Amino acid sequence: MLIALGYTMVYGVLRMINFANSEIFMFGTFAAIIVIRDVFNFTQQSEPATGVRLIFILVCALIGSMLLSGIISILLELVAYRRLRNRGANKLAPLISAIGMSIVFAEFVRIITDSRYVGSPRVMEKKSLATFFGGDIRLDNTIVIIAGLILYIILQQFVQRTRLGKAIRAVSMNEEASKLMGVNLNAVISGTFLIGGLMTGAAGFFYILKYENTVFSIGFELGIAAFTAAILGGIGNIKGAFYGGISLGLLETYASFFLGTQWKAVTVFLVLVIVLYFRPNGVFGEAITQTRA
Amino acid sequence: MFNLRDWGADLWDRSNKFTRILISVSAIGVAASLPFLGGTFLNTPVAEYESVLVFPIAIFVIMALGLNIVIGKSGLLDLGYVAFFAIGAYTMGLLGTKTNLNSWEILPIGIAMAMFAGLILGVPALRLRGDYLAIITLGFGEIVRITALNLNAIGGANGIVGIPTPPTIFGLEYTFDNHRLYYWTFLIIILLTIWMIRRLSVRRGGRAWESIRQDEDAAELMGVPTFRYKIWAFVLGASVGGAAGVLYASKTLFISPDNFTLQVSILILACVIFGGMGNIWGVILGAVILGYLPDRIRFLSDARLLVFGIVLVLMMNLRPDGVLPRKKREKVLPKKDLK
Amino acid sequence: MNNVILSLENVTMQFGGVVALNDVSFEIRKQEILGLIGPNGAGKTTVFNVITGVYQLTKGDILFQGESIQGDKRYRITNKGIARTFQNIRLWGDMTALENVVTATDTHKKSGLLSGLFGLPVSRKEEKRDKVRAQEILDFIGIGEYADRLAKNLPYGVQRRLEIARALGTNPKLLLLDEPAAGFNPAEKVELAETIRKIRDAGYTVLLIEHDMSLVMGVSDRVVVIDFGQKIADDLPAKVQNDKRVVEAYLGVPDDAS
Repeated sequence: MLIALGYTMVYGVLRMINFANSEIFMFGTFAAIIVIRDVFNFTQQSEPATGVRLIFILVCALIGSMLLSGIISILLELVAYRRLRNRGANKLAPLISAIGMSIVFAEFVRIITDSRYVGSPRVMEKKSLATFFGGDIRLDNTIVIIAGLILYIILQQFVQRTRLGKAIRAVSMNEEASKLMGVNLNAVISGTFLIGGLMTGAAGFFYILKYENTVFSIGFELGIAAFTAAILGGIGNIKGAFYGGISLGLLETYASFFLGTQWKAVTVFLVLVIVLYFRPNGVFGEAITQTRA
Repeated sequence: MFNLRDWGADLWDRSNKFTRILISVSAIGVAASLPFLGGTFLNTPVAEYESVLVFPIAIFVIMALGLNIVIGKSGLLDLGYVAFFAIGAYTMGLLGTKTNLNSWEILPIGIAMAMFAGLILGVPALRLRGDYLAIITLGFGEIVRITALNLNAIGGANGIVGIPTPPTIFGLEYTFDNHRLYYWTFLIIILLTIWMIRRLSVRRGGRAWESIRQDEDAAELMGVPTFRYKIWAFVLGASVGGAAGVLYASKTLFISPDNFTLQVSILILACVIFGGMGNIWGVILGAVILGYLPDRIRFLSDARLLVFGIVLVLMMNLRPDGVLPRKKREKVLPKKDLK
Repeated sequence: MNNVILSLENVTMQFGGVVALNDVSFEIRKQEILGLIGPNGAGKTTVFNVITGVYQLTKGDILFQGESIQGDKRYRITNKGIARTFQNIRLWGDMTALENVVTATDTHKKSGLLSGLFGLPVSRKEEKRDKVRAQEILDFIGIGEYADRLAKNLPYGVQRRLEIARALGTNPKLLLLDEPAAGFNPAEKVELAETIRKIRDAGYTVLLIEHDMSLVMGVSDRVVVIDFGQKIADDLPAKVQNDKRVVEAYLGVPDDAS
């Protein structure tokens, strides 16, 4: 769901989907593991950390993920998108370039990790804080939700209040006018990629906290899910991404339950197609099929 | 600057009918004699040269031509093209092993199945644009593979074995290692496909697709029924993909879901991009090079996908029009009608 | 009544909270040149978009030759006989000028993909006929010599005129011109006015958006003025020029006039 949020944000702000965002997420997950395992020397046998030390480690890992993702995101923009933006000719070029970069990232990591899963040592006890209607409220889930909320609020404030934030909004609404008003387009777009990267990296950290392992193809697998959630809920719309994420989760669970896990993806896809057939904008979304004339 | 494609196009334009026939026949002759070049420096360490000519080269060429209609001409990004290939192959596999039909009878059925799939995917998907279309088509490709993997009725993870070869023709047998015969058969199919595409492009179809690719909204406001033509592009592309699938299955005699991964879609995409979007000859060249090289250069084979990714990025940045860029692109008006 | 080719009836166009057009009604008569003017952002291009089906009306109706075209698909509307040019040029750059116009003529062809594939005689005949006609249109507009040049390589003035030629390719009854003189020097504007009159005399009806007052007033038979999405005048050019409300809309109300 967070990834869907990331996607929606980058799209909603930039009006441009970043296909390679899922790979940025993947880098985020690996960054978190590297921080936990290599910087703090955690291993499978280590004692879980608690209290202040735990918070410190978590924050470092979070920052690590965000940083790596943010940096790669900017690099991505420079390498894959910038030249094409200035050329402007081919509609498909940026997209194909993104797909290419996505492949390069994933394959690069695959070759390094030899296609294997990489695990993260457990950094904290995932103890139950309370029970709620028979469901556990676990520490790690709580941290993810709270931290996610905090990040989201920070992002909202940033976009509303700061100069860069306003510039980003302006550019997303009307690129030409913004340029005329003296907005430095390159800086703004780099900034947007950076922020998108930071948020996606955070999502990567959260993922590791919860699932404790990752693989080079995680970007692809989750990316499809995120994208589907985003379309289901409606692109460009935070509320939509939220509901989309929830619906997707529900859908997957039911599908697995009734048909078996191997048909999960197929069912989701079919539902997506049906939804799109009747409501090309997604359930809550603004039109992605609308034309500009 | 010397532009190979334009030089070729000019040469063709300036030639009279006789010269044109001469050029065509020689070109076909060259293509047909390719199998005889085995045993030269063109040898491939990974697999037998002649086998490589058939697959992946010839099959890639067919698929690239098909995908070219969708992406190159119409500008619709389809990342799940392998689905149609798979549908064709599985049709051949199932009907070939379970009924008495031979390859040539199954071919139209396979094509029809693929076209049908193109239609049902196209109708909802083609309302979307750009990235969304890409993702949906990618999803479709994966879904087909997953379905094949999990549906034990059609072989599941084990795939289908014992697919029959095409029936003996003029006393020539299609044994598994008779690569040349397969190659020449496939070559004929390629020529047919080229003929079909050129005929379509030179008239209303080609114009409609070009206008959609360049500015879809303007096209619609100029009276082009864009949705209809997008569906056509999709369906035609699917038909070619399906044909390739049937042929593939009748050659390799064994198929499994692993043959139809996303990777294949990306590979064919790279062929189209590398060769030159919309440009038939460029696309063929792209398929030939990208089909041949990984088998020739060993280390490339392992890092194949990585290299293709790099190819995509580089091409878009340096030469978005492909290796054979077109100054004037494919004609959409038949010149001779005005004489 | 019978010489009305297009009529907007109580057209309201609302986007979320913004009302772009508010209860706008006017008529266009056959073979007249109707000018559509108004300050920037008043809603003129929205009128075009609403007529050509780009936007769906919030309220009201649009009748073309007596028939409602509300809700019709865009290419159907063009096929029925309404064509437009664009404020920012939207030609198909990689096609030649001739190909741009021929593509526009395709909408009336009877032959489709399949007849093209099999080279049926009806397809060949139509191709020939429309290609000839496309060249004639280019000549008529005065850019016949550029027929085989790629649209993206043409000089600006030629591109603007190609936009018009392309629209004419669809054989419209009503032609919508969106700021066709943008970027023209005075001499070119005079030429354009001539061309517009020529188009009208050839039997077409023209609805024209333009900012250049002398051009619009000089060439139009009647003028409609839009401000803030509402029609504030609909009359002969001379009368409109002296209409107090129009003057105010353009110049603003003087401070001491309350």
